[in-house]
Amino acid sequence: MKLTPINDSEIKQRLGTAMDAPSVPQLSRSYARVREWFNQTAPFIQWDRMDCPLGRLFVGVSRQGLCAVDFGRDERAFLGRFDRQARLEKSPKAVSQAIAELREYFSGARKNFTLPVDLSALTAFQRSVLETACRIPSGQVWTYQRVAREMHRPKSSRPVGQALASNPIPIVIPCHRVIASDGSLGGYSGGSGIEAKRWLLRLEGVLS
Amino acid sequence: MIPRFQELIDRHHDEIFVYLWRLLGKTRRFDVSLDVEDLVQEVFMRAYKRFSRLRPDSNYRAWLYRIATNCAFSRLRRAKIHRDKMALLETCVAGASESATDETSNGDLRAAVEQLSPKQKACITLRYFDDLDYSEIAAIVGCSTVSARANVSQAIRQLRVALKE
Repeated sequence: MKLTPINDSEIKQRLGTAMDAPSVPQLSRSYARVREWFNQTAPFIQWDRMDCPLGRLFVGVSRQGLCAVDFGRDERAFLGRFDRQARLEKSPKAVSQAIAELREYFSGARKNFTLPVDLSALTAFQRSVLETACRIPSGQVWTYQRVAREMHRPKSSRPVGQALASNPIPIVIPCHRVIASDGSLGGYSGGSGIEAKRWLLRLEGVLS
Repeated sequence: MIPRFQELIDRHHDEIFVYLWRLLGKTRRFDVSLDVEDLVQEVFMRAYKRFSRLRPDSNYRAWLYRIATNCAFSRLRRAKIHRDKMALLETCVAGASESATDETSNGDLRAAVEQLSPKQKACITLRYFDDLDYSEIAAIVGCSTVSARANVSQAIRQLRVALKE
């Protein structure tokens, strides 16, 4: 066996004969082992989507609870919000309870949600703001200032607004029930923005 | 665009396994610390830890190969296998002669490949099996493009000398 004439394909062919390759079962076993390790290590997000009056709505749950609600965006943008190291799996079964409660909410049959939520990706302050927002009863609105006062941080209206804008679970955590002190609706980052906020407050009977 | 980590596993596991299998060559049979499955898992574990630091415009395939190469070199250094080339040659020749179906020339070429340094072996494997260009090879093995090209041509020259062509 000679190495001349030397050209890439010739060398490749001869080296291929000399340098053996692993068998398919060896590859499969190793792949299964790596996937098993990954499945046990990576954060696990199961998700699905539903149609609602605000458009297509996506829901994601982690092992700890509901961690994502998104609407007014496409699937790629929704999946892109998760850590790239996380394991994602489309699973209607895993999010069935969340979707059932959301359907009841949109039909007017539900005022509050009973799902466990996962806010572990947020800072302590953001969590505290969102937990305070959860205390706002359906049919009422609080101002950003009121939320700050309830948290015993009366001068933190602006940070409160920023924390509400980072709400990963809109609708379920009712950040839409927080408005500006002058009575205007303030901001809303979900779906079509202020229009979506207005629609939700109308559904809850705050606006006519 | 960098894919999600799970896609990285799905797309690149097999080629990383084959690369490491070839890079370790027959030495893997004589040292339990050179188990390729273990090494592949280590590669993906290291990659996972560093994945969040990867820039969006990175060549993630070359990045993964670099981690694989570093893991392999590090294991080879620990095992001190490549420091004793004579012993290695003996085992390789013995290994080659064990196979009744081997053609003699294939066995010679195999033994000659095993005599290459880990870096040369990495360079020719990346060049001829993984179809990477010299700039990618340079980034993976941690040298200049000129040096990567030199490693490949020196390796080919050594193989030819070993086969007395």
